[in-house]
Formats: sequence, C-alpha cells, structure tokens
Amino acid sequence: MGLIIFLLLSKSGPLGPLGLLYSTTAMVIAQFLLAVPIIAGTTKAAVESVDPALKETLMSLGSTESQLWWEMIKESKKSIIAGILVAFGQAISEVGAVMIVGGNIRWHTRTFTTSIVLQTRMGEFGMAIALGLILISMTFIINYALTHLQMGDGNYKSTRSK
Amino acid sequence: MVIINLLEVNNITKLYPKEAGTSQTVLSDVSFSVKKGECFVIIGPNGSGKTTLLKILGLLEQPTKGKLIYQERDITNLSKKEKIIYRRKFSFVRQKPVVLNTTVFNNIAYGLKVRGVEWEQVVSQVREIIDVVGLKGLEKKNARSLSGGEMQRVAIAMNFVIAPELYILDEVSANLDPQNASLLGEFIDKIKKDMQKTIIMSTHDRTEAIKFADRIGVLIEGRLTQIGSPNEIFTSPKDEFTALFVGYENIFTGIGKIDEKSGLNLIKINDLIITASNQVEGNVKICIRPESIGIVKTPPKEVSYRNIFKGEVEDIRDLGNICHLMVKCQSEKFLITITALSKENLKLKPGSEVFINFKATDVKLL
Repeated sequence: MGLIIFLLLSKSGPLGPLGLLYSTTAMVIAQFLLAVPIIAGTTKAAVESVDPALKETLMSLGSTESQLWWEMIKESKKSIIAGILVAFGQAISEVGAVMIVGGNIRWHTRTFTTSIVLQTRMGEFGMAIALGLILISMTFIINYALTHLQMGDGNYKSTRSK
Repeated sequence: MVIINLLEVNNITKLYPKEAGTSQTVLSDVSFSVKKGECFVIIGPNGSGKTTLLKILGLLEQPTKGKLIYQERDITNLSKKEKIIYRRKFSFVRQKPVVLNTTVFNNIAYGLKVRGVEWEQVVSQVREIIDVVGLKGLEKKNARSLSGGEMQRVAIAMNFVIAPELYILDEVSANLDPQNASLLGEFIDKIKKDMQKTIIMSTHDRTEAIKFADRIGVLIEGRLTQIGSPNEIFTSPKDEFTALFVGYENIFTGIGKIDEKSGLNLIKINDLIITASNQVEGNVKICIRPESIGIVKTPPKEVSYRNIFKGEVEDIRDLGNICHLMVKCQSEKFLITITALSKENLKLKPGSEVFINFKATDVKLL
C-alpha cells in the first residue's frame, strides 16, 4: 500500500505535480487507505447480519430508506466500533507505509513508530523503549475509551443487572 | 347502501424461485376483499402461505401476479415514496416480535419519530399507550430484556401508537402463555370494538378465529379454498381438509338479554330466541356443539331442555357411523351430529319435520 502511494505521488508519478510526497498529507492518505477497507468491511458485515425481521418491522412501521439504514447502523454499533478498533490498531502501529511516503523527516513526518525504528537502528535502545511505552499506553487508553463506549450505551447491561 | 371495500385482493400469486428455472408456488390466485371495520381471519395450517400473504398485504413483499386495491386505488406497483405512505397506513405485527436494542419507550416512539411527530406529542402519546398495554414501570427497560409476552405487548404498542387504518396481525397469539394470550385478545377486542378498525389476522387457533372473525378465509397450500362467516365455515366446511382443521361448530351472533323471572339469558338471533345460562348481555357470539343437540320427531315433553325448536331437515351427509344433519329452524341453520342408527330409527330424509333440543348450559359463550 505504501509503495503504491509512493509511486503515485513521486515526482514522475501521475500525482507528482501535487508535490505531496514526504508530507503529512501523504501519510494521512496512506493511513486512510489502509484503515478504510477494514472499517468498511466490518461495517458492511455487521449491518448485513442484522435480523431481517427487524428490518421488516421497521419498514412496516413506516421508516424511509435512510431512517432504516441509520437504525441498522445503530443496531450494529458494537461490531462497527470493533472494526474501528482493529483499524486503529493497524494504523497506530503502521511503520512501512508512513516511512515510505513520509520519509521520516525530523519534526515533520517522523512518527512514534518510525522514530522507534530509527532509534533502534542507532542503538539508542532506551529512547526506543521509552517511545514504545508511550505509544502502548496511548493505544491502551484509546482502546479502553472506545470499548467503554461500545459496552456502555443502550443501557442493556445496567437494566439487566437491576 | 353501497359498502366500499377497504382492501381488495385480486388474484394474488406468489412464486419463489428455487433452483435454476424452477419455482415454488406459495400463493396461487388468492382473491378476497375486506370491508371497513371488518375483521377478516385467515386460517390454515403451518406453511400454507399465511405469512407471505400478509406480508404482501403489508407491502413488505411484492406479489408475482395479481393486484391490491386499497380504497379504490391500485397499490400493487408503487414508487418507493408512495410505498412508504401506504405502509404508514397499515400496521404489521409479526408472530415473533422483534424490537430495537433500546428502551421500551424508544421502541414504542419509533413509529412516531419516523413520521416526524413533535417530541412533546410523542411523549404524551407513548405514555398513554404504555398504560393501555400494561407496560407501566418498564418504560426505561431495554426491550430486548423483556419476556416474550411483554415483548409482544411492546410490538402491539409500537403499532397501536401510530393509529393505522388497517391492522395486519400475523399469528400474534402463537407462542404466548394463556395469560398473555388472553391479554392480547383484549387488545384485539379493543381495536375491533372500541376503535372500529379493520383487522386482517391469521391464526391456526380455531377458538381465536371464531371469537374475532366477521369472516373467515381458509388458506390451504396457497389457495383460498373457502371464504365465509364463521357459521358457514364451521357448519359446512367445503373439503375434508378444512373439516379436519376447523372441526364442526354451530356459531351464532345475537343480542343477549337476561330474563328477570328465570335469570337466564335470552339471546335473540334473527327470529330465534335461544336460552343460555351465561349472563352476558348485549352483542354476543355463541357456539353449540353439534353433538349436544338432540333430535326427535314429536315435540318432547321433558322440561329440562330449555331450547326446543321446530325445524326441517335440509341436508343429510352420511359419514359412515355418524351423520351430519342440516336442520333449518326459521331463519337459522343448525348442524347436528347423530349416529347412523338413530337416523334410520327416526327415518330422517331431506324435508322431514323434526324438533331439535339442547340445554341452556350447552350454549357456550365465545
């Protein structure tokens, strides 16, 4: 994926004139293109797995097509958040693509992951480990927050335990 | 007076494609019409196509052939937008209720929300319905955590609140315990009697069919084999299959009035007055089993029989050991089961003058 975007954005590539190579924009594009298929795939699977009887019930109650879709997305919220978590995990730990299209330029396109690679290469293991720990705790916090959101709403649990 | 049909179903046929080239016929050439305020009950065994037919009526499925006319308008092939308009006039309650993964309140409010009703009005209407269906105190509970009976009540309320013109109920009382089933029966009664709404329902419970139906349609293997009043269907089923399925029953609708002297209920059915032991006045539906009616040639002198009517044998159906007699007493027809032996002894033939009798306690209220 990183290589394809690199080739597209490189000076002689079709999108070369935009001058996006080795910029944060290029990195965002790469990460976006990596995450979208995962989220789209899980969302589609989740929405399709909603009970067809529910779809029929909502139709019979008079919902329009868009109202129906919105309700389907709400119904499959848990699976969609799970998909987002997977995509997030993939994106935050991505090294190859961001390295290729970003170029790992200091203060500019250097990320946690590319920095860890560089520090390790230079033998600065202490720095590499420190960065790794910060990255891991960030991932944990974000995962925890999203998981909480996934479980919390819909007050299913809270009413059940009453 | 011309009574306009609310819904006309003309020659509906539904095929489901099977493997390449072949298809399975689920409904073939189904036609009937429903008048405003009528309760039309479709009875039939499992797999006879009841649900498919109701889904077509609810505009949830497209018929392969045939037409649906609602208030003189063809609604078979509507655009997506118009389909939603018509779906909003109907309600469809399914056998196994499905609810949204949210609170009872939000579930019931859903139909109003999609119609863009103002929130304050939604709140007041939903509260009212919650009282009616007896779900008070459960508003904030997640609807998915309810029992089957409660969930069915939520489903009913979801449809109740949008005040549809036509209720389509698909075997709603199946899978319910007796208590919840009788509660549901009360709702249906309310829709029918108090709100005067049109109902099309399917069931495989014969007592339910007798209780609610103004007319019954028998759906067997995708064909509507017979349409008629409960009395017609239960006294003269057309084919063996229907007979086995519905059984035989004398059903009458009349007006009950309690006689002060005897304390017995005198139910007036056209020209006939039947004495019953129940105490329900006003519009009543009664049933007399064909086995509990006795038949004699001379007027009986025994007083224990409250109901003695003079009649004429119209038809005799020989069923081997037993016979079915159709006896006409003034305006009403009675179906009577007797043994072949007593038929011989009484020398009965079409046209014979007879006296029929049955006890007041044998008149069952429906």
